[in-house]
Amino acid sequence: MVSDSITSASIHAAPNNNNNNARDVSKKKRARSAKLKQCKLDVRREQWLSQGAVKNKDVKAEQNGVVEERKDRNNHRPFGNLGMRPGGGENDGSIHHHHHHDSDLDSNSPNSLTSSVLGSNYSETNFTGSSSSSSSSSSGGCCSGNITEDDEGGGDDGCLDDWEAVADALAANEKPKNPCLESPPEHDPIAQSGSPQETTIGSDGPNFGVENSKPQCARTIPKASGNGLAWRPDDAFRPQSLPNLAKQVSLPNSNRKHYGCGGVPWAYSGVVSAPSSCPICYEDLDFTDTSFLPCLCGFRLCLFCHKRILEEDSRCPGCRKPYEHEPVEAEASVHGGSLTFRLPRSCSLITRS
Amino acid sequence: MFLTLLFSCVFNCSLNRLQSELMALMMSGDSGISAFPEEDNIFCWKGTIIGSKDTVFEGTEYRLSLTFPNDYPFKPPKVKFETLCFHPNVDLVGNICLDILQDKWSSAYDVRTILLSIQSLLGEPNISSPLNNQAAQLWSNQDDYRKMVEKLYKSPKA
Repeated sequence: MVSDSITSASIHAAPNNNNNNARDVSKKKRARSAKLKQCKLDVRREQWLSQGAVKNKDVKAEQNGVVEERKDRNNHRPFGNLGMRPGGGENDGSIHHHHHHDSDLDSNSPNSLTSSVLGSNYSETNFTGSSSSSSSSSSGGCCSGNITEDDEGGGDDGCLDDWEAVADALAANEKPKNPCLESPPEHDPIAQSGSPQETTIGSDGPNFGVENSKPQCARTIPKASGNGLAWRPDDAFRPQSLPNLAKQVSLPNSNRKHYGCGGVPWAYSGVVSAPSSCPICYEDLDFTDTSFLPCLCGFRLCLFCHKRILEEDSRCPGCRKPYEHEPVEAEASVHGGSLTFRLPRSCSLITRS
Repeated sequence: MFLTLLFSCVFNCSLNRLQSELMALMMSGDSGISAFPEEDNIFCWKGTIIGSKDTVFEGTEYRLSLTFPNDYPFKPPKVKFETLCFHPNVDLVGNICLDILQDKWSSAYDVRTILLSIQSLLGEPNISSPLNNQAAQLWSNQDDYRKMVEKLYKSPKA
Protein backbone atom coordinates (compact mmCIF):
# COMPACT_ATOMS: atom_id res chain seq x y z
CA MET A 1 0.00 0.00 0.00
CA VAL A 2 2.73 2.34 0.90
CA SER A 3 4.58 1.84 -2.28
CA ASP A 4 1.32 1.99 -4.11
CA SER A 5 0.37 5.37 -2.99
CA ILE A 6 3.79 6.69 -3.47
CA THR A 7 3.98 5.43 -6.94
CA SER A 8 0.61 6.78 -7.74
CA ALA A 9 1.58 10.02 -6.25
CA SER A 10 4.74 10.18 -8.16
CA ILE A 11 2.81 9.93 -11.29
CA HIS A 12 0.94 13.06 -10.54
CA ALA A 13 2.72 15.05 -7.98
CA ALA A 14 5.51 17.50 -8.26
CA PRO A 15 8.86 16.14 -9.27
CA ASN A 16 10.85 17.50 -6.38
CA ASN A 17 8.83 15.76 -3.75
CA ASN A 18 8.99 12.61 -5.70
CA ASN A 19 12.69 12.56 -5.69
CA ASN A 20 12.77 12.62 -1.96
CA ASN A 21 9.95 10.21 -1.43
CA ALA A 22 11.02 7.70 -3.91
CA ARG A 23 14.57 7.82 -2.74
CA ASP A 24 13.57 7.22 0.80
CA VAL A 25 11.49 4.35 -0.27
CA SER A 26 14.19 2.96 -2.41
CA LYS A 27 16.61 3.16 0.48
CA LYS A 28 14.23 1.32 2.69
CA LYS A 29 13.78 -1.28 0.13
CA ARG A 30 17.37 -1.90 -0.51
CA ALA A 31 17.58 -4.70 1.94
CA ARG A 32 14.58 -6.43 0.54
CA SER A 33 15.39 -5.79 -3.02
CA ALA A 34 18.43 -7.92 -2.78
CA LYS A 35 16.15 -10.89 -2.41
CA LEU A 36 13.37 -10.41 -4.84
CA LYS A 37 13.79 -9.52 -8.40
CA GLN A 38 10.36 -8.03 -8.43
CA CYS A 39 11.30 -5.81 -5.60
CA LYS A 40 14.23 -4.68 -7.53
CA LEU A 41 12.09 -3.92 -10.42
CA ASP A 42 9.80 -1.97 -8.26
CA VAL A 43 12.51 0.12 -6.78
CA ARG A 44 13.97 0.64 -10.14
CA ARG A 45 10.65 1.68 -11.39
CA GLU A 46 10.11 4.17 -8.68
CA GLN A 47 13.47 5.60 -9.18
CA TRP A 48 12.79 5.77 -12.80
CA LEU A 49 9.54 7.46 -12.11
CA SER A 50 10.92 9.93 -9.68
CA GLN A 51 13.71 10.95 -11.89
CA GLY A 52 11.36 10.58 -14.72
CA ALA A 53 9.09 13.23 -13.31
CA VAL A 54 11.81 15.58 -14.29
CA LYS A 55 13.66 13.47 -16.69
CA ASN A 56 11.20 11.11 -18.20
CA LYS A 57 9.80 13.93 -20.15
CA ASP A 58 12.96 14.43 -21.94
CA VAL A 59 13.79 10.81 -22.02
CA LYS A 60 11.42 10.48 -24.84
CA ALA A 61 12.68 13.69 -26.26
CA GLU A 62 16.08 12.35 -25.60
CA GLN A 63 15.10 9.13 -27.23
CA ASN A 64 14.36 11.23 -30.20
CA GLY A 65 17.73 12.67 -30.02
CA VAL A 66 19.67 9.76 -28.70
CA VAL A 67 21.55 9.27 -31.81
CA GLU A 68 21.88 12.90 -32.47
CA GLU A 69 22.99 13.58 -28.99
CA ARG A 70 25.71 11.09 -29.12
CA LYS A 71 26.97 12.27 -32.39
CA ASP A 72 26.62 15.77 -31.29
CA ARG A 73 28.56 15.10 -28.22
CA ASN A 74 31.36 13.58 -30.13
CA ASN A 75 31.46 16.26 -32.71
CA HIS A 76 30.72 19.53 -31.05
CA ARG A 77 30.81 19.00 -27.36
CA PRO A 78 34.06 19.96 -25.73
CA PHE A 79 33.17 18.46 -22.36
CA GLY A 80 31.39 15.27 -22.96
CA ASN A 81 33.18 13.26 -20.33
CA LEU A 82 31.04 11.18 -18.11
CA GLY A 83 32.01 12.53 -14.76
CA MET A 84 32.21 16.12 -15.75
CA ARG A 85 29.44 18.52 -15.18
CA PRO A 86 30.60 21.73 -16.72
CA GLY A 87 27.68 23.53 -15.20
CA GLY A 88 24.75 25.33 -16.68
CA GLY A 89 23.15 23.99 -19.78
CA GLU A 90 26.28 22.39 -21.07
CA ASN A 91 25.86 19.11 -19.25
CA ASP A 92 22.95 17.95 -21.28
CA GLY A 93 25.24 16.08 -23.58
CA SER A 94 26.60 13.83 -20.92
CA ILE A 95 23.30 13.57 -19.18
CA HIS A 96 21.53 12.48 -22.21
CA HIS A 97 24.17 10.05 -22.94
CA HIS A 98 23.52 8.52 -19.57
CA HIS A 99 19.86 8.58 -20.13
CA HIS A 100 20.40 6.62 -23.16
CA HIS A 101 21.98 3.85 -21.18
CA ASP A 102 19.45 4.26 -18.51
CA SER A 103 16.50 3.79 -20.73
CA ASP A 104 18.04 0.93 -22.57
CA LEU A 105 18.97 -0.97 -19.51
CA ASP A 106 15.83 -0.10 -17.77
CA SER A 107 13.82 -1.65 -20.47
CA ASN A 108 15.67 -4.88 -20.59
CA SER A 109 17.53 -5.50 -17.38
CA PRO A 110 15.40 -6.22 -14.40
CA ASN A 111 18.31 -7.42 -12.36
CA SER A 112 20.37 -4.31 -12.49
CA LEU A 113 18.45 -2.97 -9.59
CA THR A 114 20.77 -3.19 -6.70
CA SER A 115 23.53 -1.50 -8.44
CA SER A 116 21.27 1.17 -9.72
CA VAL A 117 20.02 1.98 -6.29
CA LEU A 118 23.48 2.01 -4.90
CA GLY A 119 24.72 3.98 -7.79
CA SER A 120 22.08 6.60 -7.50
CA ASN A 121 22.47 7.05 -3.81
CA TYR A 122 26.15 7.15 -4.11
CA SER A 123 26.22 9.68 -6.81
CA GLU A 124 23.53 11.62 -5.10
CA THR A 125 25.81 12.23 -2.20
CA ASN A 126 28.51 13.18 -4.57
CA PHE A 127 26.52 15.60 -6.59
CA THR A 128 24.40 17.32 -4.06
CA GLY A 129 25.31 20.59 -5.65
CA SER A 130 22.44 21.30 -7.98
CA SER A 131 18.96 19.96 -7.99
CA SER A 132 17.92 18.97 -11.44
CA SER A 133 21.29 18.36 -12.89
CA SER A 134 22.39 16.36 -9.91
CA SER A 135 19.45 14.08 -10.24
CA SER A 136 20.29 13.69 -13.83
CA SER A 137 23.86 12.93 -13.15
CA SER A 138 22.85 10.54 -10.45
CA SER A 139 21.03 8.65 -13.08
CA GLY A 140 24.28 8.66 -14.90
CA GLY A 141 25.94 7.07 -11.95
CA CYS A 142 23.35 4.41 -11.71
CA CYS A 143 23.62 3.75 -15.34
CA SER A 144 27.26 2.99 -15.29
CA GLY A 145 26.56 0.85 -12.31
CA ASN A 146 24.03 -1.03 -14.30
CA ILE A 147 26.40 -1.70 -17.03
CA THR A 148 29.09 -3.15 -14.88
CA GLU A 149 26.67 -5.19 -12.92
CA ASP A 150 25.21 -6.61 -16.02
CA ASP A 151 28.57 -7.48 -17.37
CA GLU A 152 29.88 -9.00 -14.20
CA GLY A 153 26.75 -10.73 -13.13
CA GLY A 154 26.12 -12.31 -16.45
CA GLY A 155 22.81 -13.38 -14.97
CA ASP A 156 20.88 -12.03 -17.83
CA ASP A 157 22.09 -13.01 -21.20
CA GLY A 158 19.23 -11.17 -22.75
CA CYS A 159 20.64 -7.93 -21.55
CA LEU A 160 23.73 -8.29 -23.56
CA ASP A 161 21.88 -9.53 -26.56
CA ASP A 162 19.47 -6.70 -26.37
CA TRP A 163 22.21 -4.27 -25.77
CA GLU A 164 23.88 -5.36 -28.93
CA ALA A 165 20.61 -5.13 -30.71
CA VAL A 166 20.32 -1.61 -29.45
CA ALA A 167 23.73 -0.76 -30.65
CA ASP A 168 22.91 -2.20 -34.01
CA ALA A 169 19.65 -0.39 -34.15
CA LEU A 170 21.27 2.83 -33.21
CA ALA A 171 24.01 2.40 -35.71
CA ALA A 172 21.48 1.57 -38.36
CA ASN A 173 19.41 4.57 -37.54
CA GLU A 174 22.28 6.90 -37.14
CA LYS A 175 22.93 7.34 -40.79
CA PRO A 176 19.50 8.22 -42.07
CA LYS A 177 18.87 10.54 -39.18
CA ASN A 178 21.90 12.65 -39.66
CA PRO A 179 20.18 15.38 -41.63
CA CYS A 180 18.20 16.48 -38.63
CA LEU A 181 21.03 17.04 -36.28
CA GLU A 182 20.56 20.70 -35.68
CA SER A 183 17.46 20.86 -33.59
CA PRO A 184 18.01 18.30 -30.81
CA PRO A 185 20.68 20.22 -28.94
CA GLU A 186 18.33 23.15 -28.89
CA HIS A 187 15.15 21.60 -27.74
CA ASP A 188 16.47 19.03 -25.39
CA PRO A 189 17.75 21.47 -22.82
CA ILE A 190 14.56 23.40 -23.22
CA ALA A 191 12.50 20.37 -22.64
CA GLN A 192 14.54 19.69 -19.57
CA SER A 193 14.11 23.10 -18.08
CA GLY A 194 10.51 23.20 -19.13
CA SER A 195 9.46 19.92 -17.68
CA PRO A 196 8.53 21.21 -14.24
CA GLN A 197 6.09 23.57 -15.86
CA GLU A 198 4.76 20.81 -17.87
CA THR A 199 3.28 19.07 -14.91
CA THR A 200 1.20 22.08 -14.12
CA ILE A 201 0.16 22.46 -17.66
CA GLY A 202 -0.78 18.87 -17.82
CA SER A 203 -2.93 19.12 -14.76
CA ASP A 204 -4.74 22.17 -15.98
CA GLY A 205 -5.80 20.89 -19.30
CA PRO A 206 -3.88 18.12 -20.86
CA ASN A 207 -5.46 18.67 -24.16
CA PHE A 208 -4.46 22.22 -24.49
CA GLY A 209 -0.82 22.44 -23.90
CA VAL A 210 -0.24 19.41 -25.93
CA GLU A 211 -2.59 19.27 -28.81
CA ASN A 212 -0.80 21.94 -30.68
CA SER A 213 2.14 19.76 -31.18
CA LYS A 214 0.25 16.53 -31.32
CA PRO A 215 -0.88 16.05 -34.86
CA GLN A 216 2.59 15.14 -35.98
CA CYS A 217 3.49 13.11 -32.99
CA ALA A 218 0.25 11.52 -31.95
CA ARG A 219 0.82 8.47 -33.94
CA THR A 220 4.37 7.83 -33.10
CA ILE A 221 5.14 9.43 -29.79
CA PRO A 222 1.92 10.17 -28.05
CA LYS A 223 3.77 11.69 -25.23
CA ALA A 224 4.82 14.71 -27.12
CA SER A 225 4.28 17.08 -24.27
CA GLY A 226 7.95 17.51 -23.74
CA ASN A 227 8.39 18.23 -27.36
CA GLY A 228 5.58 20.67 -27.33
CA LEU A 229 7.29 22.61 -24.62
CA ALA A 230 10.53 22.38 -26.37
CA TRP A 231 9.13 24.09 -29.38
CA ARG A 232 7.23 26.75 -27.63
CA PRO A 233 10.06 29.12 -26.80
CA ASP A 234 11.19 29.35 -30.36
CA ASP A 235 8.04 29.43 -32.34
CA ALA A 236 9.90 30.97 -35.18
CA PHE A 237 11.76 27.72 -35.57
CA ARG A 238 8.70 25.61 -35.76
CA PRO A 239 8.20 25.33 -39.46
CA GLN A 240 11.73 24.15 -39.88
CA SER A 241 12.01 21.97 -36.85
CA LEU A 242 8.68 20.25 -37.17
CA PRO A 243 9.59 18.03 -40.05
CA ASN A 244 12.85 17.24 -38.35
CA LEU A 245 11.14 16.32 -35.16
CA ALA A 246 8.70 14.18 -36.98
CA LYS A 247 11.62 12.28 -38.35
CA GLN A 248 13.20 11.97 -34.98
CA VAL A 249 9.97 10.90 -33.54
CA SER A 250 10.01 7.92 -35.76
CA LEU A 251 13.38 7.06 -34.37
CA PRO A 252 12.39 5.90 -30.92
CA ASN A 253 9.81 3.64 -32.39
CA SER A 254 12.23 1.83 -34.51
CA ASN A 255 14.57 1.72 -31.59
CA ARG A 256 12.01 0.40 -29.27
CA LYS A 257 11.09 -2.28 -31.63
CA HIS A 258 14.62 -3.43 -31.33
CA TYR A 259 15.37 -3.16 -27.70
CA GLY A 260 12.66 -1.50 -25.68
CA CYS A 261 10.05 -4.11 -26.13
CA GLY A 262 12.38 -6.99 -26.38
CA GLY A 263 10.42 -8.87 -28.94
CA VAL A 264 7.11 -8.84 -27.14
CA PRO A 265 4.76 -9.26 -30.03
CA TRP A 266 2.11 -6.73 -29.22
CA ALA A 267 4.57 -3.93 -29.07
CA TYR A 268 4.64 -3.71 -32.81
CA SER A 269 1.01 -3.08 -33.29
CA GLY A 270 0.66 -0.88 -30.30
CA VAL A 271 3.12 1.86 -30.92
CA VAL A 272 1.48 3.00 -34.06
CA SER A 273 -1.88 4.14 -32.81
CA ALA A 274 -1.17 5.21 -29.26
CA PRO A 275 -3.27 8.09 -28.01
CA SER A 276 -1.62 11.14 -26.56
CA SER A 277 -3.51 11.25 -23.31
CA CYS A 278 -5.14 8.69 -21.13
CA PRO A 279 -8.78 8.32 -22.16
CA ILE A 280 -9.72 7.71 -18.55
CA CYS A 281 -8.09 10.48 -16.60
CA TYR A 282 -7.15 12.68 -19.57
CA GLU A 283 -3.64 13.06 -18.26
CA ASP A 284 -0.84 12.89 -20.74
CA LEU A 285 0.57 9.49 -21.28
CA ASP A 286 4.22 9.39 -20.44
CA PHE A 287 6.84 7.31 -22.06
CA THR A 288 6.13 4.26 -19.97
CA ASP A 289 2.42 4.56 -20.47
CA THR A 290 2.72 4.68 -24.20
CA SER A 291 4.59 1.43 -24.23
CA PHE A 292 1.99 -0.20 -22.09
CA LEU A 293 -0.70 -2.15 -23.86
CA PRO A 294 -2.70 -4.04 -21.28
CA CYS A 295 -5.38 -5.47 -23.51
CA LEU A 296 -5.37 -7.17 -26.84
CA CYS A 297 -8.13 -4.90 -28.04
CA GLY A 298 -5.56 -2.14 -28.17
CA PHE A 299 -7.21 0.14 -25.67
CA ARG A 300 -4.53 2.16 -23.99
CA LEU A 301 -4.64 3.92 -20.69
CA CYS A 302 -2.20 5.21 -18.15
CA LEU A 303 -0.78 2.93 -15.53
CA PHE A 304 -2.51 4.71 -12.75
CA CYS A 305 -5.93 4.16 -14.23
CA HIS A 306 -5.04 0.64 -15.15
CA LYS A 307 -4.19 -0.05 -11.56
CA ARG A 308 -7.44 1.47 -10.42
CA ILE A 309 -9.37 -0.71 -12.78
CA LEU A 310 -7.49 -3.78 -11.69
CA GLU A 311 -8.51 -3.03 -8.15
CA GLU A 312 -12.14 -2.89 -9.12
CA ASP A 313 -13.80 -4.78 -11.90
CA SER A 314 -10.57 -5.48 -13.75
CA ARG A 315 -12.13 -5.20 -17.15
CA CYS A 316 -10.73 -3.30 -20.07
CA PRO A 317 -12.66 -0.05 -20.59
CA GLY A 318 -12.31 -0.48 -24.31
CA CYS A 319 -13.79 -3.92 -24.80
CA ARG A 320 -15.10 -4.80 -21.32
CA LYS A 321 -13.24 -8.05 -21.36
CA PRO A 322 -11.39 -8.95 -18.21
CA TYR A 323 -7.76 -8.08 -18.31
CA GLU A 324 -5.40 -10.94 -18.85
CA HIS A 325 -4.43 -12.72 -15.71
CA GLU A 326 -0.75 -12.51 -16.17
CA PRO A 327 -0.33 -8.86 -15.33
CA VAL A 328 -2.73 -9.20 -12.46
CA GLU A 329 -0.87 -12.02 -10.86
CA ALA A 330 2.43 -10.39 -11.38
CA GLU A 331 1.04 -7.24 -9.98
CA ALA A 332 -0.19 -8.95 -6.87
CA SER A 333 3.27 -10.24 -6.26
CA VAL A 334 4.84 -6.88 -6.71
CA HIS A 335 3.69 -4.47 -4.05
CA GLY A 336 0.17 -4.25 -5.24
CA GLY A 337 0.92 -3.33 -8.74
CA SER A 338 2.92 -0.21 -9.01
CA LEU A 339 4.82 -2.27 -11.47
CA THR A 340 2.10 -3.48 -13.74
CA PHE A 341 3.18 -1.34 -16.60
CA ARG A 342 6.63 -2.68 -16.51
CA LEU A 343 5.65 -6.26 -16.70
CA PRO A 344 4.34 -6.62 -20.18
CA ARG A 345 7.60 -5.34 -21.45
CA SER A 346 9.86 -7.22 -19.18
CA CYS A 347 7.95 -10.39 -18.58
CA SER A 348 9.88 -12.20 -21.22
CA LEU A 349 13.03 -11.19 -19.45
CA ILE A 350 11.74 -12.28 -16.12
CA THR A 351 10.94 -15.69 -17.36
CA ARG A 352 14.22 -15.88 -19.08
CA SER A 353 16.40 -14.92 -16.16
CA MET B 1 -1.11 9.88 5.26
CA PHE B 2 -0.65 7.71 2.24
CA LEU B 3 -4.32 7.00 2.12
CA THR B 4 -4.96 10.69 2.08
CA LEU B 5 -2.46 11.03 -0.66
CA LEU B 6 -4.05 8.26 -2.62
CA PHE B 7 -7.47 9.70 -2.11
CA SER B 8 -6.39 13.10 -3.23
CA CYS B 9 -4.90 11.57 -6.33
CA VAL B 10 -8.12 9.80 -7.12
CA PHE B 11 -10.06 12.92 -6.39
CA ASN B 12 -7.80 15.00 -8.55
CA CYS B 13 -8.16 12.44 -11.25
CA SER B 14 -11.92 12.79 -11.38
CA LEU B 15 -11.72 16.53 -10.95
CA ASN B 16 -9.23 16.87 -13.70
CA ARG B 17 -11.21 14.63 -15.93
CA LEU B 18 -14.45 16.51 -15.36
CA GLN B 19 -12.77 19.80 -16.08
CA SER B 20 -11.32 18.40 -19.26
CA GLU B 21 -14.65 16.97 -20.25
CA LEU B 22 -16.33 20.27 -19.69
CA MET B 23 -13.84 21.99 -21.90
CA ALA B 24 -14.11 19.35 -24.57
CA LEU B 25 -17.88 19.47 -24.43
CA MET B 26 -17.95 23.21 -24.78
CA MET B 27 -15.58 23.08 -27.71
CA SER B 28 -17.23 20.18 -29.44
CA GLY B 29 -20.42 21.96 -30.42
CA ASP B 30 -22.50 18.83 -30.55
CA SER B 31 -25.98 19.65 -31.64
CA GLY B 32 -28.76 18.55 -29.43
CA ILE B 33 -26.81 17.97 -26.26
CA SER B 34 -25.22 20.25 -23.73
CA ALA B 35 -24.12 20.05 -20.15
CA PHE B 36 -22.65 22.37 -17.60
CA PRO B 37 -21.71 22.09 -13.96
CA GLU B 38 -24.22 23.29 -11.47
CA GLU B 39 -23.08 26.50 -9.84
CA ASP B 40 -19.74 25.81 -8.24
CA ASN B 41 -19.95 22.08 -7.84
CA ILE B 42 -18.24 20.34 -10.68
CA PHE B 43 -19.56 16.98 -9.51
CA CYS B 44 -23.15 18.01 -10.24
CA TRP B 45 -24.00 18.85 -13.79
CA LYS B 46 -27.14 19.85 -15.58
CA GLY B 47 -27.52 18.57 -19.08
CA THR B 48 -30.01 19.09 -21.83
CA ILE B 49 -30.98 16.81 -24.64
CA ILE B 50 -33.03 17.77 -27.62
CA GLY B 51 -35.02 15.03 -29.25
CA SER B 52 -33.52 13.90 -32.53
CA LYS B 53 -35.11 14.61 -35.82
CA ASP B 54 -37.50 12.05 -37.20
CA THR B 55 -38.34 10.70 -33.80
CA VAL B 56 -41.44 11.29 -31.74
CA PHE B 57 -39.31 13.43 -29.47
CA GLU B 58 -38.27 15.82 -32.20
CA GLY B 59 -38.18 19.39 -31.00
CA THR B 60 -38.63 18.60 -27.35
CA GLU B 61 -35.95 19.49 -24.87
CA TYR B 62 -35.19 17.56 -21.74
CA ARG B 63 -33.18 18.60 -18.76
CA LEU B 64 -31.16 16.05 -16.92
CA SER B 65 -29.08 16.01 -13.80
CA LEU B 66 -25.77 14.22 -13.70
CA THR B 67 -24.20 13.48 -10.36
CA PHE B 68 -20.65 12.22 -10.46
CA PRO B 69 -19.16 10.07 -7.75
CA ASN B 70 -15.74 10.96 -6.41
CA ASP B 71 -14.25 8.01 -8.24
CA TYR B 72 -16.04 9.13 -11.34
CA PRO B 73 -14.49 7.71 -14.38
CA PHE B 74 -14.37 4.36 -12.68
CA LYS B 75 -17.96 4.52 -11.52
CA PRO B 76 -20.83 5.84 -13.61
CA PRO B 77 -22.56 9.08 -12.80
CA LYS B 78 -26.16 9.05 -11.67
CA VAL B 79 -28.23 10.47 -14.47
CA LYS B 80 -31.86 11.44 -14.12
CA PHE B 81 -34.37 13.23 -16.24
CA GLU B 82 -35.55 16.38 -14.56
CA THR B 83 -38.05 17.10 -17.26
CA LEU B 84 -40.83 14.59 -17.39
CA CYS B 85 -40.00 12.24 -20.21
CA PHE B 86 -42.60 9.90 -21.54
CA HIS B 87 -40.38 7.07 -22.60
CA PRO B 88 -40.45 3.32 -22.15
CA ASN B 89 -37.10 3.28 -20.38
CA VAL B 90 -37.62 6.31 -18.19
CA ASP B 91 -39.79 6.09 -15.14
CA LEU B 92 -42.07 8.78 -13.82
CA VAL B 93 -39.47 10.31 -11.55
CA GLY B 94 -36.85 10.41 -14.25
CA ASN B 95 -34.77 7.35 -13.56
CA ILE B 96 -33.22 5.97 -16.70
CA CYS B 97 -32.79 2.33 -17.47
CA LEU B 98 -29.70 2.34 -19.62
CA ASP B 99 -27.14 -0.39 -19.43
CA ILE B 100 -24.13 1.85 -19.87
CA LEU B 101 -25.16 3.76 -16.79
CA GLN B 102 -25.18 0.57 -14.79
CA ASP B 103 -23.45 -2.71 -15.40
CA LYS B 104 -22.18 -1.83 -18.84
CA TRP B 105 -20.44 1.29 -17.66
CA SER B 106 -16.93 1.77 -18.89
CA SER B 107 -14.57 4.42 -17.67
CA ALA B 108 -14.00 5.24 -21.29
CA TYR B 109 -17.45 6.81 -21.47
CA ASP B 110 -17.85 10.46 -20.71
CA VAL B 111 -20.59 13.02 -20.39
CA ARG B 112 -20.77 13.49 -24.08
CA THR B 113 -21.20 9.82 -24.86
CA ILE B 114 -23.70 9.47 -22.05
CA LEU B 115 -25.84 12.28 -23.38
CA LEU B 116 -25.56 11.02 -26.93
CA SER B 117 -26.53 7.56 -25.75
CA ILE B 118 -29.56 8.90 -23.96
CA GLN B 119 -30.45 10.93 -27.00
CA SER B 120 -30.38 7.86 -29.15
CA LEU B 121 -32.21 5.90 -26.50
CA LEU B 122 -35.07 8.35 -26.90
CA GLY B 123 -35.58 7.32 -30.49
CA GLU B 124 -34.79 3.66 -29.97
CA PRO B 125 -36.23 2.47 -26.71
CA ASN B 126 -35.76 -1.01 -25.37
CA ILE B 127 -39.33 -2.13 -25.25
CA SER B 128 -38.54 -5.48 -23.73
CA SER B 129 -37.63 -4.14 -20.31
CA PRO B 130 -39.72 -1.04 -19.80
CA LEU B 131 -39.83 1.19 -16.77
CA ASN B 132 -42.91 2.91 -18.14
CA ASN B 133 -45.35 0.28 -19.32
CA GLN B 134 -47.80 2.71 -20.74
CA ALA B 135 -45.15 4.25 -22.94
CA ALA B 136 -43.94 0.83 -23.99
CA GLN B 137 -47.40 -0.17 -25.09
CA LEU B 138 -48.02 3.06 -26.89
CA TRP B 139 -44.70 2.96 -28.72
CA SER B 140 -46.10 0.84 -31.50
CA ASN B 141 -48.42 3.68 -32.42
CA GLN B 142 -46.02 6.47 -33.21
CA ASP B 143 -48.67 9.06 -34.02
CA ASP B 144 -50.44 8.64 -30.74
CA TYR B 145 -47.12 8.52 -29.01
CA ARG B 146 -46.13 11.83 -30.53
CA LYS B 147 -49.36 13.36 -29.38
CA MET B 148 -48.78 12.07 -25.89
CA VAL B 149 -45.26 13.44 -25.87
CA GLU B 150 -46.45 16.84 -26.99
CA LYS B 151 -49.25 16.87 -24.47
CA LEU B 152 -47.00 15.97 -21.56
CA TYR B 153 -44.30 18.30 -22.76
CA LYS B 154 -46.60 21.28 -22.77
CA SER B 155 -47.99 20.56 -19.35
CA PRO B 156 -44.86 19.44 -17.55
CA LYS B 157 -46.41 18.61 -14.23
CA ALA B 158 -48.62 15.67 -14.89
